Amino acid sequence: MIGRFGRKNFFRQKIPLKFVTRQVEIRFDYLRMSRRYMRSIFILLLSFFFFEALAQKEYTVNGYVKDRRSGETLIGANVFLEQNPSIGTVTNTYGFYSITIPEGKHRIVFSYLGYQAITEEVTLVANTNLTINLSQGVEMQEIVISEKAQEEDDHIESTAMGRVTLPIEQIKVLPALLGEVDILKTLQLLPGVSSAGEGSAGFYVRGGGADQNLVLLDEAVVYNSGHFLGFFSVFNADAIKSTTLIKGGIPAVYGGRLSSVIDIQMKEGNNQQFQTEGGIGTISARMTVEGPIVKNKGSFLVSGRRTYGFDLAQPAINKTDFKGTNYFFYDLNGKVNYQFSQKDRIYLSGYIGRDVLTFAQPGRDFQFKLPYGNGTATLRWNHLFNNKLFFNLSAIYNDYKFKASFAQEQFQFEVASGVRDYSAKFDFDFFPSTTHQLKWGLHATNHKLSPNVVTGSSGDVEFASTVTPKYGNEYALYLQDDWKISPRFRINLGMRGTMFQQIGAYTSSLTGRVYKSGEVVKTFSSLEPRIFLTTTLNPNASVKAGITSTTQYLHLVSNSTSTLPADVWVPSSELVNPQRGWQYAAGYFQNLNNNMYEASVEVYYKALKDQIDYRESYVDNSVQEVESEFVFGEGEAYGAEFFIRKNKGKLNGWVGYTISKATRTFPDIENGRVYPTTYDRTHDLSVVANYKFSSKLTGGFVFVYATGKTFTPPQSIYLIDGGFQTDYGPRNSQRLEPYHRMDVSLTYTPRPDSQKDFKSYWVFSIYNVYNRKNTFFVYTDYDSDLQAGSATISAYKVSIFPIIPSITWNFKWQ
Amino acid sequence: MEFQMAVKHLYLLLFAVMAMLIFTSCEAEYFPEPSIDGPKYVVEGYIEAGPEANPAFLFLTRTFNFYSEIGAADFDSSYVHDAIVDVFDGSKTVRLQEVCIDDLDEESKKQFAEVFGFDADSLAYNFCIYIDVFNVLQAKEGRTYELNITVDGDTITSTTYIPIHVPLDSLTFLAPPGDPNDTLAQLACYISDPAGEQNYYRILGATNGGALETGLAGVEEDLYFDGKSFEFQLLNPQTSNGDVDPEVFGLYFVGDTVTIKWASIDEATFDFWNTLEFAQANQGPFSSYTRIQTNIVGGIGVWGGYSVSYYTKIVDY
Repeated sequence: MIGRFGRKNFFRQKIPLKFVTRQVEIRFDYLRMSRRYMRSIFILLLSFFFFEALAQKEYTVNGYVKDRRSGETLIGANVFLEQNPSIGTVTNTYGFYSITIPEGKHRIVFSYLGYQAITEEVTLVANTNLTINLSQGVEMQEIVISEKAQEEDDHIESTAMGRVTLPIEQIKVLPALLGEVDILKTLQLLPGVSSAGEGSAGFYVRGGGADQNLVLLDEAVVYNSGHFLGFFSVFNADAIKSTTLIKGGIPAVYGGRLSSVIDIQMKEGNNQQFQTEGGIGTISARMTVEGPIVKNKGSFLVSGRRTYGFDLAQPAINKTDFKGTNYFFYDLNGKVNYQFSQKDRIYLSGYIGRDVLTFAQPGRDFQFKLPYGNGTATLRWNHLFNNKLFFNLSAIYNDYKFKASFAQEQFQFEVASGVRDYSAKFDFDFFPSTTHQLKWGLHATNHKLSPNVVTGSSGDVEFASTVTPKYGNEYALYLQDDWKISPRFRINLGMRGTMFQQIGAYTSSLTGRVYKSGEVVKTFSSLEPRIFLTTTLNPNASVKAGITSTTQYLHLVSNSTSTLPADVWVPSSELVNPQRGWQYAAGYFQNLNNNMYEASVEVYYKALKDQIDYRESYVDNSVQEVESEFVFGEGEAYGAEFFIRKNKGKLNGWVGYTISKATRTFPDIENGRVYPTTYDRTHDLSVVANYKFSSKLTGGFVFVYATGKTFTPPQSIYLIDGGFQTDYGPRNSQRLEPYHRMDVSLTYTPRPDSQKDFKSYWVFSIYNVYNRKNTFFVYTDYDSDLQAGSATISAYKVSIFPIIPSITWNFKWQ
Repeated sequence: MEFQMAVKHLYLLLFAVMAMLIFTSCEAEYFPEPSIDGPKYVVEGYIEAGPEANPAFLFLTRTFNFYSEIGAADFDSSYVHDAIVDVFDGSKTVRLQEVCIDDLDEESKKQFAEVFGFDADSLAYNFCIYIDVFNVLQAKEGRTYELNITVDGDTITSTTYIPIHVPLDSLTFLAPPGDPNDTLAQLACYISDPAGEQNYYRILGATNGGALETGLAGVEEDLYFDGKSFEFQLLNPQTSNGDVDPEVFGLYFVGDTVTIKWASIDEATFDFWNTLEFAQANQGPFSSYTRIQTNIVGGIGVWGGYSVSYYTKIVDY
């Protein structure tokens, strides 16, 4: 053996035999090990596509998992072998799955939370197409867990970290402010997600800024997700199928924001029967119509929501000096889909939403109008190249428009801003074997970002600001492999390469050079590795760790405590570098009591580069480019999140607790002092529950507690021009008192077992049950009499939402 | 002019309308923690050029802690006395004299108080300024003025520039917008802004010989109207500041005598007053805080150069 590997010269060295022997043995071991290692890698590489196929004949089972009653595809449904649950997969965004398994008899389980699992027995002698329709449980809360249904648990075994999917049914039974079911506010109840303020749909994830969340509606970016200054989100729950929050391990398929992804999918529409549902709430009314275009082949959905409070008040308002004053917001969602063949399906979906405020004072010939909102359109083509390769092509248009106009006599004024994107996305899902799932794709987006452009006139004289829209092209190429190395180890390896080009038309404010339309001004690129590893300790526990690198090319900087409709998105440019972030996370995941409970502890550390804020003493003048008012710095965030969720039984819900810190450091802000962000919350606790008292009555409960927001305190005062001014202390150096609130709701269905086509139910909700006066903002006020040498200096905390009861009546007709 | 005012107050208006119409907000007083840094020096200095210009003067005070009630004794103690206040105009240094109202004879006291809008007889504390009593400086447009203050071993410095004056072309009172009302008037002003240079303006107004005061938008820059000749409505400071009545907002009362003080200022002076106005108007949910930008080294406040013109008219049309 030694002679086989050792060379003669090797033994001619004057080294004691014993030592030589040991050396040789070591060398031999090394060679043997490295050869074995190399061979293992080689075999693994071979096995990547071929080994399993050679070892035993394998066939692919593929298809869709759908809701039986509506025909809606189910996203994230589990598909696995009953005899070996570790062999399995989950359905993708379009409800498609593909699983390649050896020939012979198998029992394949299809399961989805809230639905009755189905086990199909198949005898594989050829590739098989199998589309499964699952029925909703009698009620979600009453699912009986079969002992055999030891499902492959995504929570334990997948490489997904910091990822939570909330079924819309779970969101709908929770209490809501003024009865408006709100997806984004429900997300705020998850650990690691904090609210931008009292009643706000704005949110911050793991110490990241408000602009660092990628909010997608059917793949289209929603740039402003709030109505009414952010108090309500733009997503009408009746039109939404599912919501997924990814705050930790962002897979390579997503990019463009540093902190999180909120992936919202619209319903496709019932392809079995026509159905109408809707409701009348305290402030808005809703209506959704859906039905088949051709049964089992295509369907449509149209859904609308509009507030009506001010419309009802119009007769009263019109008797005042403010005749013509009105405010409303609306959302309109539409979607059609059609399956042309077993391999081809088209989806077309769109959304438009607007806030419209009109303030009129006819007696003074004064009018102020403020319309703003988003519009999106997504055309998608699903194509199956073969039973293992799924392809989706998306063409996406989206815009956000803001406009405010004033008019009085000969004087007119208008400020407008917005974002407009055209995007194309090519995405492939490849299921080569049960151990690999590959995704790759190419995304390209053309951005037009309009700053606040001011135009006006005074008689014949016209005024206009000189700022112009900015343009950019953003590209991303990604590849990721979710690889089950062994039943215990699983790794998700991803790489996302991104490039952003600022393009003309543009006049450089640095050099004065004029760039023509489409001419490249500045190019940025980035390689973003994403690595997530899962080690399954036992069927009920796993440890996960991950690294996420992200780059953000579009930025929104707000001078306020949360974002506002007129805040302007700006691109990376010769003046602004892309924001970059690294997140390191690890977690322990445990399922308890036969998957009745799922629990996790996750820790994270984030390092953020090229963060942006306004310079101190910034005053918005809407004339100069906001980039000239930016300063740049760094950020850091770390924390631990504890989460336990009960998914089944009469009582379900979750408890989430976060302990965290988020800071920023800007050389040009207070000489580089490290300061906490306004959304830095040391403690954040949410308790969410719903309980099914009977088939008629379900209760909902929410309790939140969070460390008070930081704010910059008034420190001293001084006299200028006969009035008092405030001298502020260090930025964010004090905190408001802790925020806490309890909400309850009761859903009453008078005739749950009615066989009639028309069904209705009532939701009674109380926001802020014990009337906690949580501070929304602080301000100072001065009342002085200089002659008398006296002054009263006051600082006030203002709270806006006292106890608010609401009633919503909902119906469904089919 | 209203352009910037409109932008500045866009959110205020928006929020006010919505809040007023929908929510019943609740307020509770609280007491911020006092300054840990100790008091700062506060300078409010003016140096003017023009036919009716005032002599250079400044107030030198200290910041107050955030007490809820401030009395005459606190006002008294806020004035910084015995400072050496020098102004250098490029060729000579002039020392400003400290003048306190209590040190003056009755006649001077009365005149002095009137200039600053006080009644000398009932003023509750000893009001002091540093002033170029004999107007030795004779400040001129196009010149830079350096301020140097020494007090209690501390040094406070600043520099300001008096720009070339851009006067108003004319002022005309017109009928108010909207419904006819013969007791109210709006003031239409005409200006020809010089092209190709940044111009900054500060506007003050007084009614019937009262003290000059600033309105909702007391400073303007020519970003929107550089090089243009146009008409704009100049809001009445008296009716556009503090608690405003929408019926008379910005309007003048027929029969009043109105004085407008129109000044060209430099960028630093503009930044001070602009951030001051923004800080006052944008507290609350839409702006966490705004630090008032200062051109004072060793303290806070402003040392501002003005080239001024005054226009006095009776409100009539």
